[in-house]
Amino acid sequence: MSESMFAVKSYGAQEFLSAENGVRADEAVAEVFSMMLGYEILPVDEAAANGCEANERTAIVGFSGSMRGTCEIRMTTLAACSVASAMLGGTPVAEGDDSIDDAIGELCNMLAGGWKNRIHTLSSDCALSPPTVISGGDYKVHVRQPSMKLARVYRFDVHTLHLTLHRQDLAT
Amino acid sequence: MKGTILVVDDSAMMRKIVLRTLKTAGVELDTVLEAGDGVEALTLLRANTVQLIMCDINMPNMSGIELLLKIKEEKLAVGVPIVMVTTEGSEPQVRQAILAGARGYIRKPFTVEHIENNVKPLLVA
Repeated sequence: MSESMFAVKSYGAQEFLSAENGVRADEAVAEVFSMMLGYEILPVDEAAANGCEANERTAIVGFSGSMRGTCEIRMTTLAACSVASAMLGGTPVAEGDDSIDDAIGELCNMLAGGWKNRIHTLSSDCALSPPTVISGGDYKVHVRQPSMKLARVYRFDVHTLHLTLHRQDLAT
Repeated sequence: MKGTILVVDDSAMMRKIVLRTLKTAGVELDTVLEAGDGVEALTLLRANTVQLIMCDINMPNMSGIELLLKIKEEKLAVGVPIVMVTTEGSEPQVRQAILAGARGYIRKPFTVEHIENNVKPLLVA
C-alpha cells in the first residue's frame, strides 16, 4: 500500500471551533427535525436549559478519518418517545418501546452526517460509526485528551435536545 | 401497484420511514421485504423477484456497496432499480454506488419530494 493512501488532511482545531460550525450544527439540526420529524427546533441558551436528568437517553456516533471524535445527543426519555413517534408519522410510542433507541440512534446518525456533510473536507474523508445508545443519566463520556467540544442546546415542542460535537487531536 | 419492494437498512425505524414516505409519494408496491443488512438482503433476493430496492450504505456484516457488487456478480436483480438511502453523500461515495449498480441516491434526511423525484421516474422507465 502506498504511503499516500494514509495521507488524510486533518480537520483543524481552529476550523472546528469557528463560529460557522455552530451555524452548521444549527442548520443540520433544523433540517433533520423539519424534514424527518415535522418539528420546528430552535437553539436556546445553554444556561437556561435543564441540566442532566436521571431518566434520559444518549446516542453517540463516532467520526473517523480526517476528524476523529464523536457526535452526542442527549434528551429525556419522554423527548425520545416524541422523536420516535414523530418519525413513525405520529404513532404513539410507549417508554419501554425498542423503537425509541433505534429512533434516537438514527437521529444522531443524521445529525452527525448533516453536520459533517456541510464541511467539504469532512464530507468525503470522514466516516461515521454505527450509533450507540445509552439509557439513564448516571454516566460520563470520556474522550481521550486533548479534545475540544462544541455544545449546543435546542428546544423542540416542550423538550430539550443537547448536542455535543467532540473533536480529538489526530496525533494522540 | 403490483410487485415487491426490498428495503435494506439496519434500522427498523428507518425501514418504516422509507416505506411510509414511499407510500405518501404514491409508490406503494403490494409486497414488502425487509432486510437488516446485506447478507439478509442477498438471502431474500436469491428466493424472490423484486421490482425496487431501497438500500442503506453503512450496515453491519455487509455494507450497501458490497451488496450492490454481490447483486451484480450473481445477477440477482437485472434491470431492477436500486436506490441508495444514506447519510453519506459525498461525490466519491455517490460515484462508487453508481459504478456498483445503483440507479438513484437519496441523502438522509429526505422528504416525500425527494422520493418522488428520485424513485418514481425509475419505476416508470
